[in-house]
Amino acid sequence: MSRFLDGHAGVLGRLALRNVRRQGRRSILTSLAMVVGIGLLVFSRSMADGGHEDWIDAGVRLGSGHVTIQSPDFATRRTLAERLSPTDLEAALAAVSDVGREGGILETATRLEVRGLASSPGGALPVVVAGVEPDVESRFSQLDERLIDGEYLPDGDELAAFVGVDLAERLDLQLGSRLVLTGQDAAGDISGQLVRVRGIFRSGLPEVDTRIVHVRLGIARDWLGAEGSATSVALLLESSSLVDRSARRLGQLLADVPGADVLTWPEAMPELEAAVRMDDFGDYVFHIITLIIVALAVINTILMSVLNRTREFGVTRALGMTRRDTGAQVMIEGVLLSAVSGFVGIVLGLAVTWVFFRNGLDFSGLMENGMEAAGVIIDPVIYPKFRLPTLLGSVGFVFAIGVGASIYPAYRATRIEVAEAMKFEA
Amino acid sequence: MTHEPTAVTTAAPAVRTKGLWKIFEHDGIVVEAVRDVDLTIERGDFVVLAGPSGSGKTTLLNMIGGLSRPSRGRIEVDGRDITDLTESRLARWRLDRVGFVFQAYNLLPVLTALENAEFTMLLRGIPPEERRSRVEELFAEIGMEGLEGRRPGKLSGGQQQRVAIARAVVGEPALVLADEPTANLDSKTSDGLIDLMSRFNRELGTTFIFATHDTELMRRARRFIRLVDGRVVEDERRDAPA
Ligand SMILES: Nc1ncnc2c1ncn2[C@@H]1O[C@H](COP(=O)(O)OP(=O)(O)OP(=O)(O)O)[C@@H](O)[C@H]1O
Ligand SMILES: [Mg+2]
Repeated sequence: MSRFLDGHAGVLGRLALRNVRRQGRRSILTSLAMVVGIGLLVFSRSMADGGHEDWIDAGVRLGSGHVTIQSPDFATRRTLAERLSPTDLEAALAAVSDVGREGGILETATRLEVRGLASSPGGALPVVVAGVEPDVESRFSQLDERLIDGEYLPDGDELAAFVGVDLAERLDLQLGSRLVLTGQDAAGDISGQLVRVRGIFRSGLPEVDTRIVHVRLGIARDWLGAEGSATSVALLLESSSLVDRSARRLGQLLADVPGADVLTWPEAMPELEAAVRMDDFGDYVFHIITLIIVALAVINTILMSVLNRTREFGVTRALGMTRRDTGAQVMIEGVLLSAVSGFVGIVLGLAVTWVFFRNGLDFSGLMENGMEAAGVIIDPVIYPKFRLPTLLGSVGFVFAIGVGASIYPAYRATRIEVAEAMKFEA
Repeated sequence: MTHEPTAVTTAAPAVRTKGLWKIFEHDGIVVEAVRDVDLTIERGDFVVLAGPSGSGKTTLLNMIGGLSRPSRGRIEVDGRDITDLTESRLARWRLDRVGFVFQAYNLLPVLTALENAEFTMLLRGIPPEERRSRVEELFAEIGMEGLEGRRPGKLSGGQQQRVAIARAVVGEPALVLADEPTANLDSKTSDGLIDLMSRFNRELGTTFIFATHDTELMRRARRFIRLVDGRVVEDERRDAPA
């Protein structure tokens, strides 16, 4: 027994420690509740984070990337008038290469997008035509992986078009079919371009499968009279956690280019951000319910142990401990019990998640043709993601449970009257 | 932690009560457990409170020890008036000045015999070396050498009471209050305990006040006080202590 364990604090700490140990079985029961509760929490949190990473990944690939550089008004107006001029585009690409791979940028897709009409002898439908660089885009959007017929914008075929399966069906298009794209060009005039269907994809998402047409960037520029310019530069990053840092860097580099705005994916795609938040909120509700159940189990354990030790508290009070000492002793016991079992819970939750689910949890049985959330197709296999803030959050929860669950029992312990307590046998 | 100054004058008796009453009231039922007790107990005395069950022995002892407050009257212990002390001051005062021995389950089950005996010294922040040497000495005196590391659950009832007695006297209190310390024990064991306390009383000069039904303990008292219905009905000094 060391010197600094002397005095009240030391005695209380030692008593608490011994009591938690003595109540082995009860502590184990509480631990179990904690372990299951916290474990579930860690598990569901990692899976949710993993799922959201998938959503974000799918969303940014099909949409505007983790970070996008575009003209300030493009987000709202979406016409060619709001495009990046050749000099703005040059500045943007220079800034991107400045940040580069070290800045976490994996892919840089230059796109010229226009809203227009696709017509064939079979009919006409409104579409979004994206002029893209095929080799970059195939890695970026991975839309070519969803190819069901033909090829993705083959080399040497300037007039190739890549269309969704629903569009093809409704306009009666096959491989080789001609298609006329009509849109407002850079000068504000309506102009048309003949293309040929070279590939057909199915994303599973009706909105994408009827509305998206990819053509080569070069032909789009010719058709729309937008030589050397683009509507956006979309960036794919190593991880969504790098978004803010990269966007800030690019923003600084492009500070004196008023025609080029840097947007992060939540800014560019608020509906995706909202979907992630909504799902998070659902998770939090679930977590809070779990925590309440765990807290009740802990309260019950500690309260029982207090009520069973009325005489003991009477003795320590008679010997000179104050009400506050007694309350503190119970608080320490509760926090200790929660800390130990919570720690075990966190470790176990992580271990179970890692051992059983690191190769992904397959939800494909639950959904047909993938799942759609906020206009994004999601891989039905979810991989857990372990994030430090999440873990720290769990540790915080454990502590909160320990403190919260000990308050009432500690209060009850302080209310014990010595003279009454001494009438108890044992 | 510093010791609170206690106004000790050589003339002050160990205990002095004046017009002491304890009245319990529950749901309109009023019990006068202690009625108008005036009592002066000299230092170093060995006093037994006797009387039928419900006569107020425990109630009186609890008030003297600062475990419950009188309804009326005043209590002085060792020259200090404790009647109006705040609860936390009372706790500190008990820690420094009073030793308690209860009927049973005196010891904390999670502490060893030795840790139980030094518990109040731990609370008072007495340095380990001093604590250790005092407790070791005491363990020899109570015949418990070799059992220092045992938990109470592994000690006999008599051994547990010995540790409780050691704990009560180790801080050199003004007063040791013992409520039926020998109940639940066979007569041989309880005689041994009485010998022990009597010896501490003689050697250390510790004042002992007992509440008991134990005739042997009554026989050994130097002062014998009988309560009936909360009143002192007999108060006898015996000059030949056992
Ligand atoms: N908290 C209380 N509330 C109400 N009445 C009480 C309370 N404590 C004691 N009493 C009553 O006060 C009276 C004295 O009780 P006390 O415990 O002091 O008796 P005692 O002499 O110690 O008895 P015993 O020999 O059985 O221990 C009894 O009538 C008892 O019922
Ligand atoms: Mg009694």
